[in-house]
Amino acid sequence: MTFLLRIYLAVALLLAAATAGAQSVRVDHAEAELVAAVDAIVPGQPLSVGLVIRHDPHWHTYWRIPGDSGLPTTIDWQLPAGFAAGPIEWPVPKRLPIGPLMNFGFEGELLLPVQLAVPADIAPGQTVQLKARADWLICKEVCIPGGADLQLALPVRASAAPSRYAGLFAGTRAQVPQPTTLEAASATIEDGRVRLVYRPASLVQQLEFFPIEEARIEPAAAQTLRADADGTALYLTAVQPVAAEFTRLKGVLVVNGGPAASDKGGWAGEIDLPLLAGVVPQMSASVPATVGVGGGAAAVTFWVALAGAFVGGLILNLMPCVFPVLSLKLLSLMQHQRTEDEARLPHASLRAHGGAFAAGVLLCFVLLAGLLIGLRAAGEQLGWGFQLQTPWVIAALTLLFFLIGLNLFGAFEFSFGGALASSGAAQRLQGDRLSGSFATGVLAVVVAAPCTAPFMGAALGYAVTQPAPIALAVFAMLGVGMATPYVALTSMPALLGRLPRPGVWMLRFKQVMAFPMFATCVWLLWVLSQQVGVDGVALVLGGLVLAALAAWAFGLSQAGARRWRWVALATAPLALYAVFAMTGPGAAPARGGLAKAGDAAGWQPWSRSAQEAQVAAGKPVFVDFTAAWCVTCQANKRLVLSSETVHAAFDRHGVTLMRADWTNRNDEITRELARFNRNGVPLYVLYDRGGATYVLPELLTERIVLDALGRL
Amino acid sequence: MLRRAFLATALFAAAPLPALAQPSPGQAAPAFTLTDLDGRKVSLAELKGKYVVLEWTNPSCPFVQKHYNSGNMQSLQRRYAAEGVQWIVINSTAASHPEYLKPAEQKEWLRKQGAAATIAALDADGTVGLAYAAKVTPHMYVIDPNGVLVYAGAIDDKRSANPADVKSANNFVVQAFAELRAGKPVTAPSTQAYGCTIKYGS
Repeated sequence: MTFLLRIYLAVALLLAAATAGAQSVRVDHAEAELVAAVDAIVPGQPLSVGLVIRHDPHWHTYWRIPGDSGLPTTIDWQLPAGFAAGPIEWPVPKRLPIGPLMNFGFEGELLLPVQLAVPADIAPGQTVQLKARADWLICKEVCIPGGADLQLALPVRASAAPSRYAGLFAGTRAQVPQPTTLEAASATIEDGRVRLVYRPASLVQQLEFFPIEEARIEPAAAQTLRADADGTALYLTAVQPVAAEFTRLKGVLVVNGGPAASDKGGWAGEIDLPLLAGVVPQMSASVPATVGVGGGAAAVTFWVALAGAFVGGLILNLMPCVFPVLSLKLLSLMQHQRTEDEARLPHASLRAHGGAFAAGVLLCFVLLAGLLIGLRAAGEQLGWGFQLQTPWVIAALTLLFFLIGLNLFGAFEFSFGGALASSGAAQRLQGDRLSGSFATGVLAVVVAAPCTAPFMGAALGYAVTQPAPIALAVFAMLGVGMATPYVALTSMPALLGRLPRPGVWMLRFKQVMAFPMFATCVWLLWVLSQQVGVDGVALVLGGLVLAALAAWAFGLSQAGARRWRWVALATAPLALYAVFAMTGPGAAPARGGLAKAGDAAGWQPWSRSAQEAQVAAGKPVFVDFTAAWCVTCQANKRLVLSSETVHAAFDRHGVTLMRADWTNRNDEITRELARFNRNGVPLYVLYDRGGATYVLPELLTERIVLDALGRL
Repeated sequence: MLRRAFLATALFAAAPLPALAQPSPGQAAPAFTLTDLDGRKVSLAELKGKYVVLEWTNPSCPFVQKHYNSGNMQSLQRRYAAEGVQWIVINSTAASHPEYLKPAEQKEWLRKQGAAATIAALDADGTVGLAYAAKVTPHMYVIDPNGVLVYAGAIDDKRSANPADVKSANNFVVQAFAELRAGKPVTAPSTQAYGCTIKYGS
């Protein structure tokens, strides 16, 4: 037996000497082997050796920190005198979810490299036996402790050539994270919530953190990637109870898929940062921009955001400030379709109209996204509602809605294309109805801006905090959603045919549609009154009267009374002057909004410090992030927040009520919204006595608020 | 109207969710009621006034085998049961998993091992295991007579499946009891448990 073994070993050694390999050992569900990157030992030169484990399909062994269960693989070297082994250089592991738990480990072929120090005085010509005991735990559904006594025989020579494992070593070394210093990095912890933030040199779409200390970061907890004002942030969950020794955040950060995806900017590094106490917002389920990590979850979230944007776009069609525009366009198409059969628009042409409209909507959304991204890049802290924080934009919208209302009443006619284009192009556009459809699309988006549909805030918050291509895609999807019903109706005229027959009702309908327009004007003027005061609004109203005169005169001239045209041309500049005199870009906005909103019974104006003081004093705080121009905010305020029941509940729980008014630009509020991953209002946040945060939905009901208060 | 209802539904779905409860030593141990292997109901509330040890087990797991084949777990059970400690062995393996044992099979295995736990129960739906955030077998918990969790974590500090390691290991449960009996706080109230993943159902 011993004799046979000796012969076997002798043969094995000869083979090993020739191939710089070793006999592999087959144990339960794996094959293990000691290997070297070169075919010989060179005196005094470090030697790359390693343990290869070839797992059977679906079986895995564990990383240095195995996660919720498992054991790391160990290598116990028995080396000749003068040799010394370094630690295992662990490549980046895989996340291996098991039910609600998470492991970190390896599947397939794995090399665990180790650097050996070789003595300088070793004589060439001899063969050195490197021995090691390797132990591991291999698991699939079940776990089996495995281990093998392995050896590798290598000749000592003056020089060495790469072995057949050189490629495996090179590939694995690329996977081994090196200590890395991240730009402007910091780590904070609050109440078991850990936030790692840094300024990446290039776009980060995926981030995974693998702790290299045990019992620090919960392995199975979701890791949330978010673009924050101070950089790219990863939100982690600490193991409870938080260990007193948890004073540094140590681990491997895998960026954009890690070294395996290096062609797509992937890499990994080992980080070690002091962990400081600080403010770490809660990643609530209602914060939409959570990007899960691993297993393509980031992509899934992206698709969910796209779907959300699509639905949001669809809903935009039903908004009171958009619906009339679209109905009108449909009405005009129906006239062509139904009233004069011989003059029917061919289907292809109908489709072209649908396409033109969609193109207008899409272009507008993409331009808006581009503008927003551009402004952000320029360091401007702006949000979706930023247009409405500028008085002249509101004044212009008021004028626009007023003119649309007059037009609906029949005071004058214009194609929407003409209204947007310069007056010189108006005639041409009237003949060119495709561009009219295109312009309707553009107009629909412009008028949609005040109607932040409930989905919009979240989708936009997501989009704006994402890299530019994703933001553009989400904005475009909003556009697609908005254009879909219109495209569907025009590409399937059968559906159009199902709409009611045209008649006098259409005229009435058109006129009725003027009222929402005027109502919108009232609301815009109310917003404007908070920004520029009563005098400013009076001037704008005067401007509207002049605009009405101009529109009426223009209508007369269209009807054939050509000389009225001069009245229109003379009055229009006066109207424009009156509208913009006190609201123009040069005019200083009156900063009255905040104080006014705060005056409302029981509500204090919000500031970060005031809110923190209240929480520190042990009082729950409810913060209403609102703006005068935000319809949803006003509806929630009137219907829910001001209701007797809700007020009584606030009193009963001793809640301090704070209102953050974003009617005018306010950088502190913009930053606070960004902390919650929002880019617009409304946002409702309830802080309990312990400082825990609940984010309420954008569309409130009494039930939602009472339930949230019930948690206190 | 319909639109409003739809929106409300969508937004209710987005309402904040409570975080998964994870008990920490020093906090009240989550209440539970289990049916033992003989079909009797056992609740933590009934055991108030006594020390309670929870031991998560799975006979197929090599780490559990390490502590039973070496006789380590049985001797701990005997020792503390004699001191009036309620020792509950819980198997949270889901019924759909190949390693699931029926109550009679679990009972038979414990009998063969000479186990001396005061109570043994299955938790095939994982309710109790998840309430305690039990992750591995064996995962050990000690609850004091006031119902406060005083220890959660590994059985000892030798993370291996090798029965020979039991002798040289520092047993955290023994350490915790020694400190509690001496009226001292538990110095290591929470450790990283090692072992096989608990096979919860999905």
